[in-house]
Amino acid sequence: MTKLSTTDLLCRFSGLVAVNKVSFAMDEGEILGIIGPNGAGKTTFINLVSGIIMPTAGRIEYKGRDITYLPAHERARMGIARTYQLIHPLENLSLVENVMVGAIFAQGQGLKTARRTAEELCEELGLSDVDRDTARLSILETKKMEIARALANDPEVLFLDEVMAGLNADETHDLIATIRRIAVERRLAVGVVEHVMGVIRELTHRVIVLEAGELIAEGPYDEVSRNPRVIEAYLGGAA
Amino acid sequence: MNRNIARAVAAVVAAVAVALPAFAGAYPLQVARNVMMYMALAITWDMLLRSGQISFGIAGLFGLGAYAAILGVVRGGMPVWLSIPFAAVVAAAAAFLLGFLILRLRAMYFSIVTLALAEMFRIVIHNLHDFTGGPEGIVMPAGVIFGGNAAALYWLTLAGLAVALAASWWFEKSRIRFALTAIGNNEISASSSGVNIFRWLLVAFTVTSGIQGLLGGIYVQSYGFATPDGVFSADFTLLPLAMALLGGMHGTVGPVLGAVLLGLVSEWLKLKIPYGHLIVYGIIIIIVILFMPAGILGLARKMSRGAEGGKS
Ligand SMILES: Nc1ncnc2c1ncn2[C@@H]1O[C@H](COP(=O)(O)OP(=O)(O)OP(=O)(O)O)[C@@H](O)[C@H]1O
Ligand SMILES: [Mg+2]
Repeated sequence: MTKLSTTDLLCRFSGLVAVNKVSFAMDEGEILGIIGPNGAGKTTFINLVSGIIMPTAGRIEYKGRDITYLPAHERARMGIARTYQLIHPLENLSLVENVMVGAIFAQGQGLKTARRTAEELCEELGLSDVDRDTARLSILETKKMEIARALANDPEVLFLDEVMAGLNADETHDLIATIRRIAVERRLAVGVVEHVMGVIRELTHRVIVLEAGELIAEGPYDEVSRNPRVIEAYLGGAA
Repeated sequence: MNRNIARAVAAVVAAVAVALPAFAGAYPLQVARNVMMYMALAITWDMLLRSGQISFGIAGLFGLGAYAAILGVVRGGMPVWLSIPFAAVVAAAAAFLLGFLILRLRAMYFSIVTLALAEMFRIVIHNLHDFTGGPEGIVMPAGVIFGGNAAALYWLTLAGLAVALAASWWFEKSRIRFALTAIGNNEISASSSGVNIFRWLLVAFTVTSGIQGLLGGIYVQSYGFATPDGVFSADFTLLPLAMALLGGMHGTVGPVLGAVLLGLVSEWLKLKIPYGHLIVYGIIIIIVILFMPAGILGLARKMSRGAEGGKS
């Protein structure tokens, strides 16, 4: 069943077309890779579907409903969640309180219930000592907290923008397993942006490739990675 | 354990505060009223600051409340007791409506517009001569509330402070804390967690402005007259700000601490060097911003953390 889809989604920043007529669809239970060279428009695409920026043209549908111009906080309440490429834990709030925010405002829970929700999420992700100051978290723990914060929305669609960046091989494996587990358990549709192709290969069922804002290929990773246009895009990006 | 001690201290302080007129003379009560008034304003300023929005408009809402109270009685025939909550309602309503315009602004732009609004209120009242009494001000025909009884006036201001403290406590204990902290940290990630940013800023701005208006109403009925230059004085913006900065921002305790220290020092300075106290505020603001941006509380926390680190 299609959860989220876009039709000819276009985003222009003054002169630059950051996302150029992208149409895609994401199904329940699917882990979708979103790849492309630096500046391809991956983060902008996530910003558009999560409501952080509004598109210049095109259409976004969530569970059959037009959400193209809905504000971000309403999309969060409907079940769209995301993490940020640059993580900023909320200062003056402890680990568990950081996670509570989504439970309070996206799910509308009272403080007591929200705390229980947040504690359960922390446990699910292997985060202990939940009253800690966020300044004392390791990189892996910070990434997990970011995921827990997104899950606190009780989402049906989750976007992860380079959550693996900065992790070593063991930590990356740990997080891949975690993400796969929560995706299956919650029947989530997950959109994953990563630069490390090993992660994409291992984690995703299908990928879409963006280059200069355009969707240039789509399919299982092994197929797409042999696509001459994709190889060209990456070589072009590297040169 | 620690919490019980804090509770006991708070209970003792509250009991002493309520009973003060039994053993203090008119002058100390007057000083205490001043300190409590500024303390309450400092708390309300800090409450909005928790969302990252810096208001320079305290004097504007305070003055608006003051004029609402006095005009409510003189022009509207309102009973004096009613004029004080009326001041709160007028200031809150003004903030609520203006909020739709100005709460889209951020950082410096918000601050400057709040400053401009305060000035605008003053100029309008200054110029509506027939209704407001103009620059010469307006006098309560019946004089000061409670016939000027020092103890009663003290309790009235104490009640105003209690409202500010209760509101601040509510901001700290409810979901508002999570909303404002999330907004103050990062609005984009707050909205991704379902926080309706405008709505919570509007709540915070309306509530804090309403209390500022209430305090203006209390102030004006405690003196029995108002002039534009008096109730819109920049003191009502700058002193609370300096107090919160000095004590430590983002909580109730910091502004309270700063108000006690700065309030008492300024009373003493007023006697020694009239008007010199303003220069001292300026110097304190500069020193605090440069050397202890988290205020006295922040410094204390840092030192206790340092001591802990030394032990382990
Ligand atoms: N708010 C903005 N204003 C103007 N230009 C922007 C804005 N956000 C992104 N861009 C531009 O849009 C293009 C796409 O950026 P985007 O961040 O979406 O790329 P990305 O694929 O996420 O790259 P990376 O892999 O480096 O994270 C870039 O050229 C970028 O400079
Ligand atoms: Mg990006």
